[in-house]
Amino acid sequence: MPAARVLAGRSIAIRLAASALFWSLLILLTAGLILSALYRDTTERAFDTRLLVYATDLASDLVTQGNPDQRELGTLGDPRFDLPLSGWYWQVGQPDARPRDLRSSRSLFGAELPGLVPPGDDSHFGEIRKGYRQGPEDRMLRLVERDIDLGEDGRYVVRVAGPADEIGAEVRRFIFSLTVTFGLLGIALGLTTLLQIRFGLGPLTKLRSALSAVRRGEAERIPGDYPRDIAPLAQELNLLLDTNREILDRARTQVGNLAHALKTPLSVIVNEVGTAPDEVAARVREQARIMRDQVNYHLDRARAAALAGTLGTITEAEPVVAGLVRTFERIYRDKGAAIAAAIPAGTRFRGERQDLEEMIGNLIDNACKWAAGRIEISADTVRENERAWLRILIDDDGPGLPEEARAEVLKRGQRLDETKPGSGLGLSIVRDLAALYRGTLTFERSPLGGLRAVLELPGDAG
Amino acid sequence: MRLLVVEDDKNLNRQIVTALEHAGYAVDKAFDGEDGGFLGETEPYDAIILDLGLPKVDGVAVLNAWRRAGVKAPVIILTARDRWSDKVQGFDSGADDYVTKPFHMEELLARIRAVLRRSTGHASSEIVCGAVRLDTRSGRVAVGDNPVKLTSHEYRLLSYLMHHAGRIVSRAELTEHLYDQDFDRDSNTIEVFVGRLRKKLGVDLIQTVRGLGYLIEPARE
Repeated sequence: MPAARVLAGRSIAIRLAASALFWSLLILLTAGLILSALYRDTTERAFDTRLLVYATDLASDLVTQGNPDQRELGTLGDPRFDLPLSGWYWQVGQPDARPRDLRSSRSLFGAELPGLVPPGDDSHFGEIRKGYRQGPEDRMLRLVERDIDLGEDGRYVVRVAGPADEIGAEVRRFIFSLTVTFGLLGIALGLTTLLQIRFGLGPLTKLRSALSAVRRGEAERIPGDYPRDIAPLAQELNLLLDTNREILDRARTQVGNLAHALKTPLSVIVNEVGTAPDEVAARVREQARIMRDQVNYHLDRARAAALAGTLGTITEAEPVVAGLVRTFERIYRDKGAAIAAAIPAGTRFRGERQDLEEMIGNLIDNACKWAAGRIEISADTVRENERAWLRILIDDDGPGLPEEARAEVLKRGQRLDETKPGSGLGLSIVRDLAALYRGTLTFERSPLGGLRAVLELPGDAG
Repeated sequence: MRLLVVEDDKNLNRQIVTALEHAGYAVDKAFDGEDGGFLGETEPYDAIILDLGLPKVDGVAVLNAWRRAGVKAPVIILTARDRWSDKVQGFDSGADDYVTKPFHMEELLARIRAVLRRSTGHASSEIVCGAVRLDTRSGRVAVGDNPVKLTSHEYRLLSYLMHHAGRIVSRAELTEHLYDQDFDRDSNTIEVFVGRLRKKLGVDLIQTVRGLGYLIEPARE
């Protein structure tokens, strides 16, 4: 069935609703048909019983009054038998007698009731016969017929008829109320089905939102209990997530190992060529430098790729900055730069410690390269629309950077001053990492006179 | 000046050792953390170059063990791991400098000179004692304005004494710091070199302190 296939593609809710609708309609329709048939049968039988009572009355009159010729057959206490062409008729007669002796109700108005069996057919003699026949004025009649054997007085046939549309009208009334009832029942069933679908498919909706939380990196696994039917699904999804994470970890480790493994031979090549002045050596040095930059870049990319799923971790900023300050004081001790850090306790970064170290490290490194003697690091937490942002400021008293050059330094591999050491990747790595955390890196003029780097990252106010 | 190089890559180890010997240092080498750790703890090195990714014992563990055992020699970490978190860990473990691979040999040599200078309390790359000037960067020695040509052994001896000017240096200490492990140590050779140095310099710089060793008076500012 193409319709079913179309529906099957859409949604489980529609499938459930469609099949519930189909079966409800089928059952209601069948029940309606059976009920109305039963009712018609019952109504018919009740009608027949009434007709038979009249027929029995007539028969007993016939039997108890002696001479059939003087017999006064009554009106059966029902005025409709006297009303011309009322639809209610009786007729008593001897079908075999010559001349025919026929008596009938006044309502018949001289017309004759048709017989249920053809004249001369004795096969149903003695039975009470019932049936529909066309009566006067082509009205459909319900007819009951019985035979009375009066011995030597001969055989009589008593016929009583009533209008068949009375049965029909009653059955139609019944079908009408049945339809109304079943219609209401159908609507109630439909509503119940919708409620059931919503309730029944609830765990699926829950599963979906749990999964999308995993995709957004807000959760690592699918939590909670699920009904027996979809618990295996949730379990399989968790296993899949684990496998995925493992593959990612392995890939990351391998990229890391590869990159680190390449660096030693690269060192050997660079040192083997040394500072030889010839052209080949110069080209090898140049290519080795490109290789080193590429290795570093892809190493950073691999680290960044592992970010998804680690957004749940929280890092205290103060120890990170303190460790970096210790390190930079050693690296730049010959320069005699004074590095001051003022990080309030409880300033937290929503992310990995290593990434925070990498970002702040690169920024301090840059500041140290340019500073004349002072570097200041400060941080605070800013609330904005229910979200907390960690803002880290790194100031130096170096030459600073004109506004138009600030965008340039963020480009990959861009070095504004080739005389300073570095690959030119540091600041673009900071920007890329910050962007992965939906944070930003911007530059301003520092109150110390040099450059101020402003790093904004997801924070934690709790 | 005697140095130790702990690096597991044979080629790189050879290159560094050759470059350092060429620059006038006595150099010992180790290829794994176990040997390197042992040498660093037992021999009196003036500086150590330590790779972090070492077989048997990790470089950071070796460095931690040295510092716990009271090894004071400046350590330069040489590694491919260039994240700031690695550097912070390295410095916090007691490293004095950090060089990331791939590196230029000149850079490593400059860093070694810098840590040696710092560890002996000299601020510049040129050490002056009386009329004698020693440029640690170029390895040149001059008396007044006249350059003096020295053999590598003579240079090492003079350099060590000048780095530690103002302190009596024993013959045994000189032997330990001027020659690598495999050198046939005969204390008489020290006297021979001192004699040759005195002749070449032509000034009364190196004093003999009987029974104790040698002494160079520090520069008077």
